[in-house]
Amino acid sequence: MSVKTIIKPSKNPFKINFKELWQYRDLLWTLTYRDFRVKYAQTAIGFTWAIINPVFTILILSFVFGTIAKVGTGDTGVPHLLYTTAGLCGWTYFATLLGQAGNSIIGAQGMVKKIYFPRLVIPLSKAITAFIDLGITLLIIAGLMIFYGIAPKASIMFLPLFLLIAIITGLAGGIWMSALTIRYRDFQHITPLLLRVGMYATPIAFPASAVPESYRMFFYLNPMAGVVEGVRWSILGGTPPDSYAYISFGIIIIFFILSLFYFNKVEKIMADIL
Amino acid sequence: MSKTTIKVENISKKYTLGMIGSGSLRESISLGASKLFGKKTEEISQKEFWALRDINFEVKQGEVVGIIGKNGAGKSTLLKVLSRITQPTTGQITIDGRIASLLEVGTGFHPELSGRENIFLNGAILGMDRKEIKSKFDEIVEFSGVEKFLDTPVKRYSSGMYVRLAFAVAAHLEPEILVIDEVLSVGDAEFQKKCLGKMNDVAKGGRTVLFVSHNMAAVRDLCSSGIVLNHGEVVFSGKTEDSINYYLESLNEDISTTGEIEWPIEKAKGKEEMRLLAVRLKNEEGKVQSVFRSDKKIKLEIEYLLVKDIGEMRINVQIRTKDGSILFATSTHDIEPKDKLAGRHICHTWLPANFFNQSNYKVAIQAGIPQVKQLLKIDNYLDFSIEHYLGTGSRLNKLLPGYTAPVMNWETKYINNDAISPHKE
Repeated sequence: MSVKTIIKPSKNPFKINFKELWQYRDLLWTLTYRDFRVKYAQTAIGFTWAIINPVFTILILSFVFGTIAKVGTGDTGVPHLLYTTAGLCGWTYFATLLGQAGNSIIGAQGMVKKIYFPRLVIPLSKAITAFIDLGITLLIIAGLMIFYGIAPKASIMFLPLFLLIAIITGLAGGIWMSALTIRYRDFQHITPLLLRVGMYATPIAFPASAVPESYRMFFYLNPMAGVVEGVRWSILGGTPPDSYAYISFGIIIIFFILSLFYFNKVEKIMADIL
Repeated sequence: MSKTTIKVENISKKYTLGMIGSGSLRESISLGASKLFGKKTEEISQKEFWALRDINFEVKQGEVVGIIGKNGAGKSTLLKVLSRITQPTTGQITIDGRIASLLEVGTGFHPELSGRENIFLNGAILGMDRKEIKSKFDEIVEFSGVEKFLDTPVKRYSSGMYVRLAFAVAAHLEPEILVIDEVLSVGDAEFQKKCLGKMNDVAKGGRTVLFVSHNMAAVRDLCSSGIVLNHGEVVFSGKTEDSINYYLESLNEDISTTGEIEWPIEKAKGKEEMRLLAVRLKNEEGKVQSVFRSDKKIKLEIEYLLVKDIGEMRINVQIRTKDGSILFATSTHDIEPKDKLAGRHICHTWLPANFFNQSNYKVAIQAGIPQVKQLLKIDNYLDFSIEHYLGTGSRLNKLLPGYTAPVMNWETKYINNDAISPHKE
């Protein structure tokens, strides 16, 4: 067995070594496991927190938008609580991943400065942990649908597609933020702000149709608007996402590819600028 | 077997201080803006620093090479480049074989996780796969001696246990090429010995090892050849013993800027009547330096300005150990006339030869008028380090314990043999 390594300056950010990333899959799993363990270790109720958090978010959103503001649920005709949960389902993966991936490399700088491994493993491990939150919201939806006696519509067959788009959006955002945060620490403040604004600028607890027509185009500049609408439509039916939404899906794919290149570029100087 | 396993060709590494590419968001935006409007960006001052310059060497299979040099000579940067943590600016390194680097023990250890979990975590980070770790698990646990605490979070470990566990994982790495930083300087003496033994096994197992250390005794014990770095360049490579000698000799002729600290008058230290202008450490020839051979005395020079005449002023100097405790103190009050005229002054003393141990020390200075006021708050101003040197042939193989290592004269006198020879009646 002979492994040959050549170390030399590489200037080409478009050369991404996927094969090497695959070789480090054991590390990816180990780091994912570590994140998961550490998150719930030493807490009295452990994993239960992973359920309590989304439940309260759903309750408060539904109370404010459904009970107080009475924005309705578009033409789905489902209870507002379920409507909000389905909305949050599209949002949650993106939000969790962006929130955690942003600081992930700074958090792992002890490792980055002392040992070599493809740095992409770090945000990717966050991407895997974030699936837990996504899975829990899906479970809550299933529970609520059984409770209300609502059967999924035919559009459910599009759910995997829209979830995939939601995941790619999350990955794109997470990878961008992890690389940007090392380059510019300002993003440590920008990310939470983006998430807070995004939570209300995205039709999670209200239908996009509640947004005045004249704002509609700007509304869909937020790529998450289309994603959230899409996920909810596939679960609950009603009006399919606006055609503007498909533009944002295209933008998402481009952003995802660019995120890999940008990360690759920053990766080379990571240990020097941390 | 003399296959070349590591071939380093023209490796250089440049760091840019205050550079584009690590600047703040505002800088990047304004830089982008000025590019956009076609403005020249030459004003952005770039200070370049070459941590490594044109490094060339080859390591053959089975060789154990010690990389030695002073702090800042480029050892760590070279290791980082070899371990692929940072990219070289120019040049190429070809490595033939599975390489693992150990720049730290316990990388990635998480305090909340148990010893068992951390073994798997750390192993994965060091590049072992799960199967490999599983097969060596018992061996690792036995080597570390923490069996009883395997399921305790490592944050409850004593620092000794922590290091032992961390090292145990590292010691069971089985790459063809191993790059090690000074990880041996951790842990208690007995465990260090065990680690050295393990390292020796690794080296004798025909693997190639690159070993960076300040500990000349360890380099001598382990390495078959040495490379001496200075200011980012290879200044010597050859047999271990020759390399160590070259390094120790070179300490004597070193011109280091760090043996000196100076302030312009407007920025001088001290707010009252006195301003501290400079502190310097010089060798016997009057050259400023920061690393001294233990057999040479050191001149400590303090330059200061008095704004007006002062009576009874006193400068106190403390020589501190690297952990900050006071080794001894000395004061100008002891011998000097007490009244001082306004103007520039320079005073000096000699720190004795054959007195310090091989270690780092700090020079702290304070000044005041006894019982009246303080003129200068106590502060550490300079660091210096001592390398043990007792002349060729009589060099100590192991370091002595203790903060100082004065060379003592011992005399033995023969009295008689009354106690042994039988009594005469």
